[in-house]
Amino acid sequence: MKLSLSTAAAPGVALDTLDMACRARGIDGLEIVIEAGDDLEALTARARASGVRFVALRADHFEDPDALARASSELAVPLSIPLGALSGSSLPDVARVFADKGGTLLIGFGTDFDQVVALTGALRNAGNPPSVGLAWELRPSSDNLEASGAVLLAARELLRLVRLYGGGPEQRDQDGRGVGPLFVDLAISGYSGPIVMTPSRSEGLPRWTEWLSSRKSAGCGAGHPAGQHEVDVRNVEPRDRLGTILGAFRALPRGATLQITLDHDPSCMYYALEDSEPAGTFAFRKIGDGPKVWHAEVTKT
Amino acid sequence: MSSIDLDIRVIPPSEKHPAIFRTFDALSAGEAFTLINDHDPFPLRRQFEATRAGKFKWTYVEEGPAVWRVLIAKNEA
Repeated sequence: MKLSLSTAAAPGVALDTLDMACRARGIDGLEIVIEAGDDLEALTARARASGVRFVALRADHFEDPDALARASSELAVPLSIPLGALSGSSLPDVARVFADKGGTLLIGFGTDFDQVVALTGALRNAGNPPSVGLAWELRPSSDNLEASGAVLLAARELLRLVRLYGGGPEQRDQDGRGVGPLFVDLAISGYSGPIVMTPSRSEGLPRWTEWLSSRKSAGCGAGHPAGQHEVDVRNVEPRDRLGTILGAFRALPRGATLQITLDHDPSCMYYALEDSEPAGTFAFRKIGDGPKVWHAEVTKT
Repeated sequence: MSSIDLDIRVIPPSEKHPAIFRTFDALSAGEAFTLINDHDPFPLRRQFEATRAGKFKWTYVEEGPAVWRVLIAKNEA
C-alpha cells in the first residue's frame, strides 16, 4: 500500500510545499485534483517540473477525454473519474482513447455491491481493456461497511486505487465504523496500490491544514509539563502518545499515581513501560475495557 | 504470492492493534505481512511476545524517522 494525499486536503498550496509536508509525515505521494477550468497542459507541465511524487490524477468531469488521457500518460499515473461522470460515454470508446494515448482510466465506484457487480460486468463485456481499472470511493462516515468484504471481492482484480474520505486528522472520527477490519481484508487480498487520504467535508479543511503543518520534521513533538497526575492522550497523535505518558510518569514523585485516558486498549502502554523503566519501579492497572474509552493507572513505586 | 501490506496509519486508534493481530492470525505458517506505521511499534512486539510467544518473527525493514516497516512472519508449526 502506498499512503497518499489528495491535493483537496490543501487547496491552493504549491505542489512542492505539499510534497515536503508529506515527506515529513512519511506519505508516499500526491493525487492531483483537476478543477473545472484548469489548463491541463500547464498543470501537467508544472507537475512534471516539480519533481514531486504523484500517484494519481482525479477529475470529476469528463469533458475532454483526449486531454485527460494525455495528462495521465505524461505523468505516468492513472486518472480517476466517478462512474456518474461517464454516463453517456461508451466504455469501449473511452478505453480506446486511453489506450491510444498510453494513459490509464480508473472508474470510481462506491461501497455498493450491486453497482460494482454491474461495473465489472460492463468491463468484462468490453473485453476487460487493460487501459481501464477501478477506484474505490470509500466514505467510512456514511458508507455501510458491512458489505465491504463482498465489494472488495467483486472489485479486487481490477482495483487500482482506494480513495479514503478520512484518515489523517479524521482518523479518530471513524472509530467503530469498520475501517480496521476493511483494511485487514484489503491487506490480505494483496492490495498494494495507493490509499489516497481525502478530506470528507470541506468544513474540515482547517484540521487538515493544521495536521499537515504540525510536523515540519520528524521526531517526537510532545513536550509535557511536570507535576501533572492526569493525562488524556485521546487528542495526542498516536506517535506522540507514549512519549507523553512516559514524560508524565517520569515526572511523578514516588508513591504518586498517574491517571491515563485513552481511546484504545492500554495494554501496549504496559509493555512499553516494562521495556523502558527499571523493573519494580511501577505498578500498572487497567480500568474498564472500552469500547470507546479506556483508563489506566500507573503508580510509581 | 502477492505481499501483504497493512498500513495502520489510517486505522482509528482503538482498531489498530486488533487489526494487526487479526492479520497475523489469518496468515498460514510460513507467511508474513509488512506492518507500516508512523512510529516504532516496539510495545506491540512485547505484546506479541506475551500472547504469541515463539509463533512469530519480527524483522525491521525501515526504522524511521517518518515511517517504520516491520516484517512480521508466522513461524512454521
